[in-house]
Amino acid sequence: MSVTDKRAPGVRISDLSVVYRTQAGELPAVRGVDLELVPGTITGVVGESGSGKSTLALSLLNAVQPPGRISSGSVEIDGLGDVVSLTGDNLRKARGRHVGYVFQAAQNSLNPLKTVGKQLLDLGRSHDVDDLPGLVKEARSLLDRMGMDGARVLDSHQHELSGGMRQRVGIMLALVLNAHIVVLDEPTTALDMITQATILRIIREVHEERGLTTLVITHDLGVVAEIADRLAVMYGGRLVEQGPTREVLGAPKHPYTRGLLQAIPRLVGDIDEARALPGRPPTLGTIPPDGCVFRERCAVRMDVCETGEPPVLTIGPRIVACHAEAGEREPESEPAEEPEKETVTTGPVRGEEQA
Amino acid sequence: MITGKGITKTFRQRGGMLGARDVPALRGVDFSIEKGGAVSFIGESGCGKTTLGRILAGLESYDSGEIVIDGVPMSSLRPKQRQPHFRRVQLIHQDPYSALNPARTIHQTLDAPLSLRAKQTGRPRSWMDERAEELLGLVGLDPGYVLPRYPHQLSGGMRQRVVIARALTVDPDMLVADEATSMIDVSLRLGILALLKDLRDRLGVSVLFITHDVATARYIGLDGELYVIYRGQVVERGPVETIISDPVHPYTQSLLSAIPVLHGLEAPGAERVVPTEAIDAGRPDTGCLFAARCPFRTDRCESERPVLGHDGGTAQEHACFHPQRRSVVATPAVRL
Amino acid sequence: MTATTIMPEARSASSALRRNFWRGVWRVMKRKPSRMAGVVIMAGFAFMGIFGPMLYPERLPRDTNALYASPSWAHPFGTDFEGTDVLALVVTGSRYVLLTGLVTAVITVVLGAGIGLFAGFRRGRWDSVLMRITDMKLTIPGLPLLLVLSTIWKFTSAIEMGLVLGLLGWGGVARAVRSQTLSLRERGFVEAARGLGLSTTHIIGRELLPSMAPYIAMNMLIAVTGAVYAQVGLFFLGVLPFEANNWGVMLNLAVFGGGALTTTAALPYLLAPLLAILLLTLGIVLVVDAMDEIFNPRLREE
Repeated sequence: MSVTDKRAPGVRISDLSVVYRTQAGELPAVRGVDLELVPGTITGVVGESGSGKSTLALSLLNAVQPPGRISSGSVEIDGLGDVVSLTGDNLRKARGRHVGYVFQAAQNSLNPLKTVGKQLLDLGRSHDVDDLPGLVKEARSLLDRMGMDGARVLDSHQHELSGGMRQRVGIMLALVLNAHIVVLDEPTTALDMITQATILRIIREVHEERGLTTLVITHDLGVVAEIADRLAVMYGGRLVEQGPTREVLGAPKHPYTRGLLQAIPRLVGDIDEARALPGRPPTLGTIPPDGCVFRERCAVRMDVCETGEPPVLTIGPRIVACHAEAGEREPESEPAEEPEKETVTTGPVRGEEQA
Repeated sequence: MITGKGITKTFRQRGGMLGARDVPALRGVDFSIEKGGAVSFIGESGCGKTTLGRILAGLESYDSGEIVIDGVPMSSLRPKQRQPHFRRVQLIHQDPYSALNPARTIHQTLDAPLSLRAKQTGRPRSWMDERAEELLGLVGLDPGYVLPRYPHQLSGGMRQRVVIARALTVDPDMLVADEATSMIDVSLRLGILALLKDLRDRLGVSVLFITHDVATARYIGLDGELYVIYRGQVVERGPVETIISDPVHPYTQSLLSAIPVLHGLEAPGAERVVPTEAIDAGRPDTGCLFAARCPFRTDRCESERPVLGHDGGTAQEHACFHPQRRSVVATPAVRL
Repeated sequence: MTATTIMPEARSASSALRRNFWRGVWRVMKRKPSRMAGVVIMAGFAFMGIFGPMLYPERLPRDTNALYASPSWAHPFGTDFEGTDVLALVVTGSRYVLLTGLVTAVITVVLGAGIGLFAGFRRGRWDSVLMRITDMKLTIPGLPLLLVLSTIWKFTSAIEMGLVLGLLGWGGVARAVRSQTLSLRERGFVEAARGLGLSTTHIIGRELLPSMAPYIAMNMLIAVTGAVYAQVGLFFLGVLPFEANNWGVMLNLAVFGGGALTTTAALPYLLAPLLAILLLTLGIVLVVDAMDEIFNPRLREE
């Protein structure tokens, strides 16, 4: 696997904001997110409930449902253009053909009344696939590849499959139309440890064999740590930190990433090193409109965090949005009155040098 | 102290073309837990760990075996008389969203068991409000904020604390926490675990922790015991640290190997065990239950069932013919 | 002494809760003007049923000079075949109709919810027996039975009428409440209540019932309309001999006596009770819309 894989398209999300209409007005679930999915890599987005990670994933397909809408920004996909401007049939075709989506509860996203094979054919017909036998053959080989008896699985109903098998069927359905961008939303939630490990291995292997660009959305740092090349941490609708997985985990720069890592009990070492993050994650209604979204729970909060947007710093392959970090790096910059745009380093960030 | 001996439970699965099918959930499980102690059951879903918790909380019947609660064997009592004893064991549900009645305020939720308690002990009504506030304080909540609220106005972590406070209204001897943190936000989980640990110290409540996450089990009680269950049978059992650092049963090793490694912080264990996947579930139960998935199985494993013991001079008990220590757990790496 | 000082506190807490509930109900009602309209309509009918008949003398005055008079200021809906004011007839006739509806609704809901809850909560033998009875009851065709019954029974009082309609109507509610109970009893909070040793009465009355309240309240309101249709229909068909005045009787006399379907003279006489039924139904439908939000604290509080 390498950055130069010709088949894998890249995705550039820039300044993406998604708002939800509520009684209290339009509230941002995702705000000013810049993220690049480097061709041929797995990017992991980590966040707690209400962080906007699932909304971000849906934006990739322009599939945010009302009362939500994409209020600004763009999602550029190689060979497809800006997804945000796609509508109607073009959009429907793009889903599945270009971007495969494995739903959060793949366990429940299959139709309980139809066999997997029938659902596969439905999928093929709705995308005007002429060679249906070819599609079935492709599906069967994918399922075989994932360690299952493909022919038998296609003949099965949802209830005859275990959680791990359904998840694999979900992955098959996302890939069978030859999509080269795959979005996996919480791919291992509700799975057992051993099954989780198997699914993660399969995701990694299939990703490499087929030359995909993969986005994994999860609340579990462990999942991302296992498979992702790059890691992006979301909090309160913002991307607070991103960079190569090993670097971010090894030396987190944002206080939230640090706190999250510290809050995970470990198998070895002193258990008293684990420390809970104080407070609770914000919900749509309680995300502070200005200043840093994390300041309520932050150990290194400063006065400027109340009012000023955290500056977005680019440090090699890593990006972090934090006042404290900025203060350490460039003490001369006073970001309080500066608008956010000025400190944002634009342009794609390639983060694969270390690998 | 609560002990169990040879507890078995078989569920009868209806339906299917072949009629009813018997599914053994527990195959003669022995355990014991001291006052204020911590015991963790780990295993995959469907291994019987949840059933055991429900049996102890009196929510499920068992087919055979004996449970002794505080010196009283349950077999000596009629079913109706057992209920007050089982009430000393309270279950903390996995899902704090369904565990609280959405139509009732937290005050109402706590009031119901407290008024029962007040009636039993002849305490005045004033005691109830005091006790409700005391319990909420104990679980780390602000009574003034929480009491008048409905569950939907609280976060998952707060709800789980309310559930724990409600369980404490009956002054239980033991809390059974069944995956009690799996549906709570990652940053809030540790708070719940710390609370359970704290309750052990402060109230002398013992905790039976049911989970698939070994690290959380370790956090609840370093001094506790770990039981690894596979298909209704305890396959390895011993002090937490021993099982984590020197597991001898291949199933335990597979479970520990499956824990994601935080690359950058940790290096994977040298001898990770990847189990083969069980495809044929309808296979007869002769021999070792894990044999079909075990990478180290021999002919003996296919025909004979190992029993829990110290064979091979291991520190912990195990049910394996070929116990061998393997280092499978990730170790801290040098920081970047 | 402590008890006396604390009791008011406890009471004030629960009354505060009740106050909050009604404030929530008010909020829910205000959200849509249609709901307020529904409440106003229903309040109007309640007023009409309770106080309406008191506004008129025992025997309504007849104006023999104005048989089938067209609408005018003195007679907004005209007069009937003997010169009685139609509006007065609608108002005085409302009590029988509405009381029947109320009695039917109460019986339907109490029996249906009671049997459904009990069967669903106990399961096993109780469930089988009660559900077989329910099934048998559901197979009884209501209208033919009423026709037969009316040959031997005069239904002079609204309560008798409501009783019969109620006894015929609880089956569906019982079935639905039972299936809801079956799913609710597996929920964590019901299980927790059992584990805490709370009484069955508490579990059914305090844990299960509130969760089903919107459903039960909806059924109750819909049962009112059902009962009104059923009895008005019976009187209209002339199956029941009538001694007192009510909407069904009016329709019957307008159509079969006044020939309202062929001539225009008796048309207001026909339309007035129809309009009343229509308005009542509308009021109920508008209020039913709010039930979900009223009984769901999440929707109520927002």
